Amino acid sequence: MNSNTPTNTPSATPSPSGVVYGDIAFWMAVAGSMVAIVGMFLYFTGNQFFDSESLLNGICRGQRADQIWLNASPAKNVLSGHWYLHHLGTSDGISMLGIGIACLAGVFGAWGSFVTMAIKKDNPPVFVIFVFVIALILSASALGWVSIH
Amino acid sequence: MSVMDKIEILKGIDNRDDTGTTGSETHRSNRYQVIKTLLLIVATASAGFGAIFGSIGTEMTALGPTLFFIGLILVCASIGIFAVLAGVGGGVIFVPLFMGFTNIDSYIIRSTGLFVATVGALIAARPFLRKGIANIRLLYTAALPYAVFAVIGSLMAGYIKSSMGPSSEAFIQGTLGVLVIGIGVLFVMKKNSEYPDVNHVDAFTEAMNLPMPYFEDSLGKVVSYRVKRAKVALVLFCVVGLISGLFGLGAGWAMVPVFNMVMLAPLKVAATCSKVMISIGDTAAVWPYIQGGGMFPLFAVPSMIGMVIGTLIGTKIMLRVKAGFIRPLIIIVMFGSGIRLIMKALG
Repeated sequence: MNSNTPTNTPSATPSPSGVVYGDIAFWMAVAGSMVAIVGMFLYFTGNQFFDSESLLNGICRGQRADQIWLNASPAKNVLSGHWYLHHLGTSDGISMLGIGIACLAGVFGAWGSFVTMAIKKDNPPVFVIFVFVIALILSASALGWVSIH
Repeated sequence: MSVMDKIEILKGIDNRDDTGTTGSETHRSNRYQVIKTLLLIVATASAGFGAIFGSIGTEMTALGPTLFFIGLILVCASIGIFAVLAGVGGGVIFVPLFMGFTNIDSYIIRSTGLFVATVGALIAARPFLRKGIANIRLLYTAALPYAVFAVIGSLMAGYIKSSMGPSSEAFIQGTLGVLVIGIGVLFVMKKNSEYPDVNHVDAFTEAMNLPMPYFEDSLGKVVSYRVKRAKVALVLFCVVGLISGLFGLGAGWAMVPVFNMVMLAPLKVAATCSKVMISIGDTAAVWPYIQGGGMFPLFAVPSMIGMVIGTLIGTKIMLRVKAGFIRPLIIIVMFGSGIRLIMKALG
């Protein structure tokens, strides 16, 4: 066959490892988004981590991110890493947790896909290695191991 | 009707009149819908920008953050509508527009742009993988260099920010300006093919065993396909990943042409693989921005909500309107944003 055309090939079943990635990624992204939205609504009822006046001023007036941290955060410094885990009592902390959960969706999805691919053996071994390396890169990134901060 | 006849019909689907009516009546109806859509986008964006600028003067009261929040949702909703109709990801419009036309720090805009693109892609990926249209062999092979270089790009962004000081802003704006104009040129020249012909497959691509057939609902058939030039594509994905990580752009605008025009994968496979790859590569790239303090919920969450709402509205509009009119508009927006970014960089 020389061209990419539809044929009467008997079946085309989706790869279980792909399905697992899609399901984990979808539900974690939805859950994370919901938590972030809940946190944002709590923001308007008070108990904020950032001083809202300084934060809004800083964002709208074009201050650099680190300058905003200096002016608006109680720490008066840039809190690198997963700072929100130590401030879950604040609305910003909850919102950032939601953002974190959504951004972890791809990481967990990749590990789920790796495990499924390794167990089911539905693809050549080279792809198991690929998804394993991808999962490692995503995990290293999420854990802050590849951060310059 | 033969399968090839059906393909020809699908290729020409934009030219069909799906209401059954013909001639000037249909043309008038579509023109009315087009005007309504444009007015909706302009009104939403104007209301949003009005609320954002209103919020700056009222930051001393509780109304400031609320207005900012609502305004940002409206602006991002209009971007989302526009993006769907133009057939691109929201990130590629979000980042240049906000960087070109607001004072907001580019590091914050890029981290939020990546977050918005990532969440959109994570949610959109599921049906493509469940139906098997997104080919996981193809996308994992491409995602590896893409993710590595997306991380390198985001680390470079952090390094440029910390080492170049205030001049980093001008550097990023100028480079992105040139890039965005390049993307505009790509939109002008782009000629995707739904089912490209593959005459000869090189040994490396053959050995990779990348193709996975999928069932095409519209044809009621299984589509078997082949791809080629995997080596060239892997190099290109390194470049695309670097750009995505450095500038915070979702990179569907570049990935689809690489899959479809370089590797000659069917257009549907290219588009779906690109969406899933954004969810992987941008996950890797977004974390260094988060860890570097570039993400603020007051900016990120309404942007995400607006983009999701806009995408849903845009999808509904797309079913009723022939969206070809958006294509010249997005080219104008890309050129306008690019020129504005270069002007800002030059001071």
